[in-house]
Amino acid sequence: MEIRLTGVSVTFPDREHPALDDVSLTVEEAEHVVLLGPSGSGKTTLLRCVLGAVKPTSGTLTVGGKNPAKAAELRAIRRCTGVVRQGNDLVHGLRAQTNAVLGTSPSWGLRDWAAVLRGRVPARYAERVRTLAETQGIQPFLKSQVESLSGGQRQRVALVRAVLPEPRLLLADEPTSGLDPVTAQAAVHTLREASGVTVVISTHDLSIARQFPRVVALRDGRVCFDGPELSERDARDIYEGVEVGT
Amino acid sequence: MNPRTGSFPANPSQDAVDERDDGKERLPTDLNQEPPGGGRAAVRYRRSKTRWLVLVIAIAAVVWSLDGTGVSFASLIEGWDNAREILAGLFPPQTDEELLRSVGKAVVETLQISIAALFFGTVMGLLLALLMAGNIGAPKWISLPARWVATVFRSVPELLWALVFVAAVGLGPAAGVYAISLHAAGLLAKLVSEQLEAVDVAPVEAVRLTGATRLATAVLAIVPQARNNIASLVLYQWECNIRSSAIIGFVGAGGIGQALGISMRLFRYEELATLMIALLLLVLVVDQISRFLRRRMGAATR
Repeated sequence: MEIRLTGVSVTFPDREHPALDDVSLTVEEAEHVVLLGPSGSGKTTLLRCVLGAVKPTSGTLTVGGKNPAKAAELRAIRRCTGVVRQGNDLVHGLRAQTNAVLGTSPSWGLRDWAAVLRGRVPARYAERVRTLAETQGIQPFLKSQVESLSGGQRQRVALVRAVLPEPRLLLADEPTSGLDPVTAQAAVHTLREASGVTVVISTHDLSIARQFPRVVALRDGRVCFDGPELSERDARDIYEGVEVGT
Repeated sequence: MNPRTGSFPANPSQDAVDERDDGKERLPTDLNQEPPGGGRAAVRYRRSKTRWLVLVIAIAAVVWSLDGTGVSFASLIEGWDNAREILAGLFPPQTDEELLRSVGKAVVETLQISIAALFFGTVMGLLLALLMAGNIGAPKWISLPARWVATVFRSVPELLWALVFVAAVGLGPAAGVYAISLHAAGLLAKLVSEQLEAVDVAPVEAVRLTGATRLATAVLAIVPQARNNIASLVLYQWECNIRSSAIIGFVGAGGIGQALGISMRLFRYEELATLMIALLLLVLVVDQISRFLRRRMGAATR
């Protein structure tokens, strides 16, 4: 799915500076792109714009030729998009395996609903859930309530939830935050393995950014770098002057 | 203490005001220093004056209420003989087989009223709550009337609902079930909708971003998070239904309350004592069952 932003700006009423400032960017079908930048640079806002969770103040944005500002088109975009967000956004009170299949709900039939409401995985997803869970090392915890999982385990369940519906677009906002280096690498590997899928991830981790063929760096809501390889000097420029603790 | 000289000021209040000579009075940076505008004694005086004022207003309110309601120790002492007559009449509670059988029947009827009313009240209450909760996203033309209906249901006392239904369907437990159901539905609708609105928003947004419908988001992300608290509220409502059924029985809406009303009107105090003990036991048993179930669900009960 192609993503096209033309002169997109986002201004929040309670903030003096725009979160995104005249951003023009095209991500081609099946391209893997990493958004790099310090906290508050606009990475999350850009991803939320693509998902229609934030409306641009000005500019145009299309995802797969569809406009997220229109309700019907937004639903179509979301149904072929997998999302991994930073922090804990699994549903408490449900098992890990139920959370893992929540991304597939738009295509459920009555039998699938009945299985999920009984805390089971619908038969048609069982095999794939098992395979993905094994890849992510969460197979032993699938039947556990999410409250009993560690932060890293929850993040991996969220990753399975995003990948399971076989989306055409994968958006991941800081997917490795809170993960140990080995688990973080497994998460990145899962995202990079999604061939034929457009992948956009945001991170402030340079080592992760360098594993992607295209790096788009943001600073103060503007694109300050867009290229295949990030040199030490480029990286310094992106983070230079950023106050520690902000 | 002066950090430069290492000495204490002769007058502690000197240190209280900022040294910058711009004519503006500043709050002290040291919490032990006296505040400007009269020092610590003045602040203490002002606080103590406010406390006294609050105390005087509180006492005046209590006296006004006691006077308005005619509550006094004198009236209690004067009426003690009548109360003693009733209390003495309660002992010993009547235990003949015929009465115990009819009390047993009334207890069973009360239990049936409470469970039937809980069923209808919960079904209606949960439906209204789902329509009312802001994060479920029902259209305003549905959520607003749902809110009004719930408000009417819980604002009208059960006793009044019971009078309406006794007039409509006649004396007996059915009237009690209808009356308690409506009140329980109104209460549960409000409490459950608040529980639904209080769930963590991040998982709700995560499910919504997958393209899930509003209904699917409610079923998959909102209700599971509030499920235990909702179940706890429903069980508590069951306890309330038992107590309510005893009260509305006085107007002929069946159950142990109706038997209590008849015994009181006929001055059969030994019978009244037996019925009160039966009601107490019923409330205790239901309370224990409810506590047990709530504890199983992880609610903080002791």
